[in-house]
Amino acid sequence: MSFLGSLRQKASFWDKIAENFAPSQTRDEKFRNEYKLPLEESIIDDTNADLSFISAYSKSKELKKKEGQAMAYVYSGKLFLTPHYLVFRDAFDNSSCIMILNVSTIKRVERAPFSSYALSLVVTLYSGTQVLIQFIGVRYRSEQFCEQLKKCLKGNIDHAKALPTFLDSCYSEFLLRKNLLQMKDIKAPGGGLGQKFKYPGQNTVAKEKAKLRLWFNYFRENGANLAIVKNYTFEKLIRVGVPSRIRGEIWELCSGSVYLRQQSPHEFQEILAKNEGKTSQAVEEIEKDLKRSLPEYSAYQTEEGIQRLRRVLTAYSWKNPDVGYCQAMNIVAAGLLIFMTEEQAFWCLSKLCDCYVPGYYSKTMYGTLLDQKVFEAFVQEKMPVLWEHIEKYDIQLSVVSLPWFLSLFFTSMPLEYAVRIMDIFFMNGSKTLFQVALAILRINGEDLLEAEDDGMFIAILKNYFLTLDKSSHPESADPKFRQITKFQELLVTAFKEFNIITESMVTQHRSKYQNGILQNIETFVKKTQLRHMPKTFHLEEFELSNIYDLFYQSIATHKIGMGTGSSNMDFPVFVGFLAKFCDWCKPSDSDRNPTYVEQKNEFLKRLFKKWDSSKTGELTLNDVVYGLDKLVTNDLLESINYFFSLYDGDDDGQLQREEVLQISEGLLFLTDPWKTGKFVDALTKKSIEESIAEQFVKEHGGEVKMSDVQLPSGVTIDEEKFKAEQSERYLQAASNFLQRSFEYAQPVELEKDINLIDLSNDDQEGATEKREFNSLKANAALDPTHPKVINLATFRMIILADESYELLFSQTLRDSIHTSESVNSSDTKNKALRNMFDGIIADGRRVAESVRRRVDSVATKGSIASTESNSNQTTHSNAVSAVSGNAQEKTEDLDDFTTEQPGEHEELLSNSWIEMGDTGDDSLKQSRPLRSIQPNPVESEDNQPDLIEFET
Amino acid sequence: MNSSVTSIKLVLLGEAAVGKSSIVLRFVSNDFSENKEPTIGAAFLTQRVNIGEQTVKFEIWDTAGQERFASLAPMYYRNAQAALVVYDITKPQSFIKARHWVKELHEQASKGIVIALVGNKLDMIENGGERKVAKEEAEKLAEEEGLLFFETSAKSGENVNEVFLGIGEKIPIKKPGEQANEQSGLRITDDQRVDLTNSVNGPVRSAGCNC
Ligand SMILES: Nc1nc2c(ncn2[C@@H]2O[C@H](COP(=O)(O)OP(=O)(O)OP(=O)(O)O)[C@@H](O)[C@H]2O)c(=O)[nH]1
Ligand SMILES: [Mg+2]
Repeated sequence: MSFLGSLRQKASFWDKIAENFAPSQTRDEKFRNEYKLPLEESIIDDTNADLSFISAYSKSKELKKKEGQAMAYVYSGKLFLTPHYLVFRDAFDNSSCIMILNVSTIKRVERAPFSSYALSLVVTLYSGTQVLIQFIGVRYRSEQFCEQLKKCLKGNIDHAKALPTFLDSCYSEFLLRKNLLQMKDIKAPGGGLGQKFKYPGQNTVAKEKAKLRLWFNYFRENGANLAIVKNYTFEKLIRVGVPSRIRGEIWELCSGSVYLRQQSPHEFQEILAKNEGKTSQAVEEIEKDLKRSLPEYSAYQTEEGIQRLRRVLTAYSWKNPDVGYCQAMNIVAAGLLIFMTEEQAFWCLSKLCDCYVPGYYSKTMYGTLLDQKVFEAFVQEKMPVLWEHIEKYDIQLSVVSLPWFLSLFFTSMPLEYAVRIMDIFFMNGSKTLFQVALAILRINGEDLLEAEDDGMFIAILKNYFLTLDKSSHPESADPKFRQITKFQELLVTAFKEFNIITESMVTQHRSKYQNGILQNIETFVKKTQLRHMPKTFHLEEFELSNIYDLFYQSIATHKIGMGTGSSNMDFPVFVGFLAKFCDWCKPSDSDRNPTYVEQKNEFLKRLFKKWDSSKTGELTLNDVVYGLDKLVTNDLLESINYFFSLYDGDDDGQLQREEVLQISEGLLFLTDPWKTGKFVDALTKKSIEESIAEQFVKEHGGEVKMSDVQLPSGVTIDEEKFKAEQSERYLQAASNFLQRSFEYAQPVELEKDINLIDLSNDDQEGATEKREFNSLKANAALDPTHPKVINLATFRMIILADESYELLFSQTLRDSIHTSESVNSSDTKNKALRNMFDGIIADGRRVAESVRRRVDSVATKGSIASTESNSNQTTHSNAVSAVSGNAQEKTEDLDDFTTEQPGEHEELLSNSWIEMGDTGDDSLKQSRPLRSIQPNPVESEDNQPDLIEFET
Repeated sequence: MNSSVTSIKLVLLGEAAVGKSSIVLRFVSNDFSENKEPTIGAAFLTQRVNIGEQTVKFEIWDTAGQERFASLAPMYYRNAQAALVVYDITKPQSFIKARHWVKELHEQASKGIVIALVGNKLDMIENGGERKVAKEEAEKLAEEEGLLFFETSAKSGENVNEVFLGIGEKIPIKKPGEQANEQSGLRITDDQRVDLTNSVNGPVRSAGCNC
């Protein structure tokens, strides 16, 4: 299966992403999740304890005053301390008592007198409420816990000071004060748009008041906002439907966004102030949608409502630029703002996006896509008949279900019902969305089975949502039954029948499908991005695809699937990126050599700068593609020009003295892998083939028939010899380059063609005198008081005068950049040299060709062979015979080299040389001098296969 | 009852808020609403029209315009026979986006898909607004890529029906025999049927003028 195959291939990459997406949660993470606490809250200490919560306003407290007897439930469970919270949960009945207490609310902590054997504390809160804690366990551990608590209290003084202001913003506090403290004319805190523009739905005043009283009673007994005990009644009250006036506070309490707001009281305003007047893509997108958010709610036809919405959405987009703004957030935020202040809505939206529906609104919407998949899986499991029907008629379920999830039912149901779902959603989490969605399909199941196309399917559901207030059993004889509305039926079905859908089930399903989803997104994003790539001249489409993979693999912070993180490349990442597929950038032994490292850095910095089109110190994918496209050209001159331009900082077509030194170091760096024998270039390959051929011919005498020329299997080749020869050749090339550069450097004023003439003169044999003259000239060039420059034409000449360097630009460099290999195979790219030699031997066709030529020449005349090798063959295959013939010239050359070598360069060179494990002098003696114009080795290579085709 | 009913699956693509949903609303209900909520994901609507002797049923997939919804689009243009690529003639950026969509459709959608390039909000320049996308430029793109081209106003209704008429005429009509089994589930209802051939200068226009 190709899909599975590619999935496996990418496994390691996706594992990394997956880790981030569904990490196996730590204890702290689980804890924070459960109690909806902010990120800072890690468990400092925990202990077993008995706990009683005696509210200052509690009726039982009044009783106590009368009868002198404390009347309070005692819960046994576990008490946790975090930097800002004391959290308690009953151990036997989890839902009977959960206390979440912000330590800012603590006024006093005393040791209780009434228990001598165990440690007990009386914690008194700002309101007079008391929490009795009786520690269970070893005494010294309890003491430790108290110590830690003391530290937290001390560290929290600033927040404690701000507490009164914060409490003024809580509606619960307002209710308590107004009714219990007889503060009759106290004003209600600011709230949502509903305060002014009416709340949705037509709840009667009496019903609203009755519900509000229930909540008042709850707060009275169990505390509120930052110091509250949640028990069964809390959940029950929410299921009944939260009264509009305190809905905002209950949402922030259930979601935990109230803790974020308390923790960073100025952040919202600060974000707005800091970004005032700034614009961004998100800001523009928000502008487009402001008037398109719950248009049916009157506040959003006014400047006031739109302003609030604008501030909440833009503030969030600045806070979380990875998400920015996604359509549907406007609708959700508009829903929140009916019940909440801007600041409350801002924090609630943050909590919602980050924790409740992670990834829903991200740049790739992977969370949305994932949950659609999960939902479909649930439908298939729970309603197989309907699912079969949907499949059979090819109905796009997502057209109806995607908006349910993405806009949390706000666009599908009338507002008054959508907010009821939100009540439960904030309490129970994202499983709520699945439960309600499944219930909708279940209730309409029979009708939906009649629908045979998308249109009918959609129409049935649309009609259902419009009649949620109607009786679900209009025909029933029982009036009680008739009273049940469709919405009530929906709640019952969702939370009774589908309470089997648990949060952990949702998580399980998510992790099951996430790889597939991320993979799809990645493919899609890649396709789109490649489609919008600038036109390339040398890189093929499949190479672009590989570069794309390598690029994003290198930017570890960027999650393609999730659409988060920076998608640009800084310098260190750039180096790692090139190292993945460029032979000269791969880690090697040379990295231990500081000179080499410096050369490498210098070259790569120049390359980076050249590619950085925006001059921001970061490369985009387009920069990289554009740059690589230039670098991998097959055109010799284009390639030389590009290299030259890297060093021509001021772009004047001339290199100054310093730049010439640097370009020579750049060449040293670039050719290091061949100099150190890590790879073999085409010249060496050819000599190896020649040598094998020679061996073959020697063994078989002149009597070889072409049909006998099999793959020479038993042939041994002297790797070390070829390696040494190659290094020597590159070293020689480097020294010649430098020497020539300064020889042919021209005074600033001189014309270009003079160089051309000079060079051709020099190439004629017997130019010894001229040489000496030139070396004088070169020395002069080193003198900074007489500035000389090298222009592009000269540079080209110098490169072309050396076969290794010429080959570097015509072939070796191109071949060393492996853009044609896909991400995964490039890892195995770094083969041992052994394999490389094996590869050469395996290329029997070319060896056979050499053999054939040899046999031919032997057959005609023995002497031809040597002529041929002199004129046509590479340095190495003929090294031995060549040495004697050219000894004279070479010695002179050697002298030239040593005298003209500038000190620093000699050092450089010898450093690289020593790396080879060879000694300098002996091998240098064997090296050949620079030869005059040679037949282009590439050309002759190209000819060979042609010839074979011709023969066969 | 007309025996030969052809279904045309049509998808709308284009940047957010260019008026895709408004065009559909105009076509399907001859209506316009000033503050339409953005399309979340996609919407599906149908409309039947008579083109000459033929009854054509348009199955319209209206998609969300925001960039990040783009990964959903293939789900909806899959098997589409026609596409409207919509831009806003007062927003140059939306025209760039239209180019992208055309490119994507040519690469990814079914071969032979009939694409109409639609510049919307024509009424705005008629009311003194500034045109930012030249008609010639759009015509050129249409020419190069082989697209139908229209400038419309969902608000006034101008040219909206013509777009669908143009598409209907360009799509090869299936022979009745071919679709007999395909359309087995079809129930033909006569309500809301627009007769496109007569509507060009008909009531649709005058209704638009009242806006
Ligand atoms: N003046 C004018 N306004 C238009 C026209 N068409 C649409 N609009 C307005 O432009 C806004 C966006 O229209 P929609 O139809 O929702 O745009 P859309 O392309 O469906 O947007 P998304 O669903 O977000 O992709 C609305 O406020 C419309 O009232 C038009 O022809 N003229
Ligand atoms: Mg729309």
